[in-house]
Amino acid sequence: MMAAEPVKRQKREAYKKSLAADDGALPKKKFFRQRAHANPFSDHALTYPKSPAEMNWASLYPAYAVKKPAEGEKEKVDESRAEGQVANEEDQRQARSITKDVEIADIGCGFGGLLFALSTAFPDTLSIGMEIRISVTEYVQEKIRALRSQNAENQAYQNIACLRANTMKFLPNFFRKHQLRAIFLCFPDPHFKQRKHKARIVSSTLCAEYAFVVRPGGYVYTITDVRDLHEWMVGHFEGHASWARVEGQELEEGEVGQCVATMSTETEESKKVTRNNGEKFVAVFRRVEDPAWPGEESEA
Amino acid sequence: MTLPYQCLAACTRSAAVGNGWLLFGATGSELVVQSSTGAASHWSPEIPTPEVKEPALEGEHEGPPGKRVKLTPVTEPKPNISHLKTTQDGQHLVAVTAEDKCIRVFQIDDQCRLEQLSQRCMAKRPSSITLTADDTTILCADKFGDVYSLPLLPSPEDEQGVILEPNDEQKKFAPSASVLTVHSGRNRKALEEQLKQAEKGKKQVKETPKFKHQLIIGHVSMLTDIACTKVGSRSYILTADRDEHIRVSRGIPQAHIIEGFCQGHEEFVSRVCFAKAGRLVSGGGGPYLYVWDWLSFRLLEKLPLQGPILEHYKGHPFQAGATDFKVAVSRIWSVPNSAQEVDEVLVACEGVPALLSFKLGGSSGAGKVLPLDGNVLDLSFIEVDGGRVTAAVSIDHVHKPGSTQEVRQEPGTSRLQYLCRNNSGEWEHDRTLAEALEGFGQTVPDEEQDLSTAGEEIRGTADDKAKALRDLLYGIENLRKRPGAED
Repeated sequence: MMAAEPVKRQKREAYKKSLAADDGALPKKKFFRQRAHANPFSDHALTYPKSPAEMNWASLYPAYAVKKPAEGEKEKVDESRAEGQVANEEDQRQARSITKDVEIADIGCGFGGLLFALSTAFPDTLSIGMEIRISVTEYVQEKIRALRSQNAENQAYQNIACLRANTMKFLPNFFRKHQLRAIFLCFPDPHFKQRKHKARIVSSTLCAEYAFVVRPGGYVYTITDVRDLHEWMVGHFEGHASWARVEGQELEEGEVGQCVATMSTETEESKKVTRNNGEKFVAVFRRVEDPAWPGEESEA
Repeated sequence: MTLPYQCLAACTRSAAVGNGWLLFGATGSELVVQSSTGAASHWSPEIPTPEVKEPALEGEHEGPPGKRVKLTPVTEPKPNISHLKTTQDGQHLVAVTAEDKCIRVFQIDDQCRLEQLSQRCMAKRPSSITLTADDTTILCADKFGDVYSLPLLPSPEDEQGVILEPNDEQKKFAPSASVLTVHSGRNRKALEEQLKQAEKGKKQVKETPKFKHQLIIGHVSMLTDIACTKVGSRSYILTADRDEHIRVSRGIPQAHIIEGFCQGHEEFVSRVCFAKAGRLVSGGGGPYLYVWDWLSFRLLEKLPLQGPILEHYKGHPFQAGATDFKVAVSRIWSVPNSAQEVDEVLVACEGVPALLSFKLGGSSGAGKVLPLDGNVLDLSFIEVDGGRVTAAVSIDHVHKPGSTQEVRQEPGTSRLQYLCRNNSGEWEHDRTLAEALEGFGQTVPDEEQDLSTAGEEIRGTADDKAKALRDLLYGIENLRKRPGAED
């Protein structure tokens, strides 16, 4: 297997080069496959902003950029750095920002099945796919590039983007407090072994972090084909004071219903499970309002 | 070999419990205590033997630390003390022993003797501890990224309530995957293997600690420091991690609510310290000290650390190879209130034989270097009389100043130095306290030490000993991320 590695890498590189030359070509998955597991505790060579204010969203959603980059902008920035850093900082922040906030995050987006469906289901909302595996991220990015190019006339797929991130560590580096309307956790790595449970994408302490970035009234959507993981996720969200489970009729109505349906049919894993005749377990949780501080009962 | 004090703590006691100050020093596995009245005592952990379950208390006696008779030959190295924290009333001391991950609570009596009240071993090694404002709860941050709350003094109900739990876990093992779960070929094999194992018998479930402890906060990163404070009626818990985060959470019972993050560090954060006027000072692996208006998560200023140190030590021997000199902040202290209304912090950096003093909110953000006889390990403020404050500074007398590797040749450096502020607010050496604490600071010549237990925890070859001591004293630089991790 080791001997085959360089050949495989060469082929992948050659393929990616040829892909870059052709704007409208959809990427082929076989050149982007990667081991299904990543260690969320290791120090990957990740790039992430120091804070949400420093995030360069404009590069991901160019159609929504506040300031369209003009020709030769890059050189100009380098020159002016020497003169006045302060004035420049404001300029740079403008150059990085977009006219609306990202509101939906697909955490562990994999090959992006749900993300592409979200693009059409919520055309006026910016959605971001976040994935820890570098090759898989590249695939989704290539696919977005190709689809944007194919749909240049109607500006479709400008509202989605994908980035590589370890959200278990760096979610608050990307999103401000209460910025998100929804988070999707679709078919996460089940981490079967008990000593690996801390590596799961849901834990009571991560529920606190999801509650930080999701606004009150927002939702977390989970789906898995592993009953034990489903029970684990339900247990942790229900056990966390910032979340309440959504049940019954509500799961079929409005935006929640639309999200549940999309998630249950459009993700890559979901299709696989359907082919396998496997079970799918869905759970939705609403972000409840934070209580008043102890001893400061609400004025209302 | 006499070891340096890797941590210090001090407290002031009210008239009810014996007036005056107490200074605690941890040297290896041993605790040394001295009071302003001259009373002194020792404590060192007992090696757990299967049967005996007596509280580990031994060898307290009057006078300075020194000769002691070795009681029994020990087989296992004793755990080193990594953290000390006193309650505000000076009645209790909390110590963490590193290797056995234990939180130990001591009662301090009026003769300044220590009686261990409890010993609670955590699942993961504590990396920082603090006490809530009311001194009733210990907050323990660990290397796994979790924060647990534990009662300082567990009530009998606390103990009983939890003993019943662990047995419930002995359920029959059932794999979480099923044949319908989407799988790779290898996973399928693993599943078959699991099912076989399940038929053979119960799987060993790792035991959780049997005392009352509650998970209240967690990062997916190693925690490096924890601090808590109260602003009006609101209490807050701040946690710092190796991934550049400083998180602000509400205090218990709403610790699950994250209020925000102080973002801006570009390397690991190693310390956070509350200063006056709502300021927070933080430092880590980067070349700056960060000053925050932490309640609004706003960075106020970045004070350069590297420059002042390099400038001061131009041409100093420890500067050999200075080009790749990196600062790692090991401790930050806010100087207690005094006549001057200046907001001052002192900073220690790993392997630097000096303290840096910063006056916050002033026009000049330049740090002032206070040179000392060896690398700074810890510091504790002692309120001497009438609110006058002296800083007892623990010095590494084993390694050469400026080095965490090279051992000194010349003996005789004191383990402690004392600094106080003169009338113009400058720090100078305090001779009176140095005399009062002579026994505390002195190093005992090697031949007299042979029978004592001080050097026992570090055994093996000289190299192993040297490395063990380095690990005990200098762990901050290890937090730095190494480039080139896998994809």
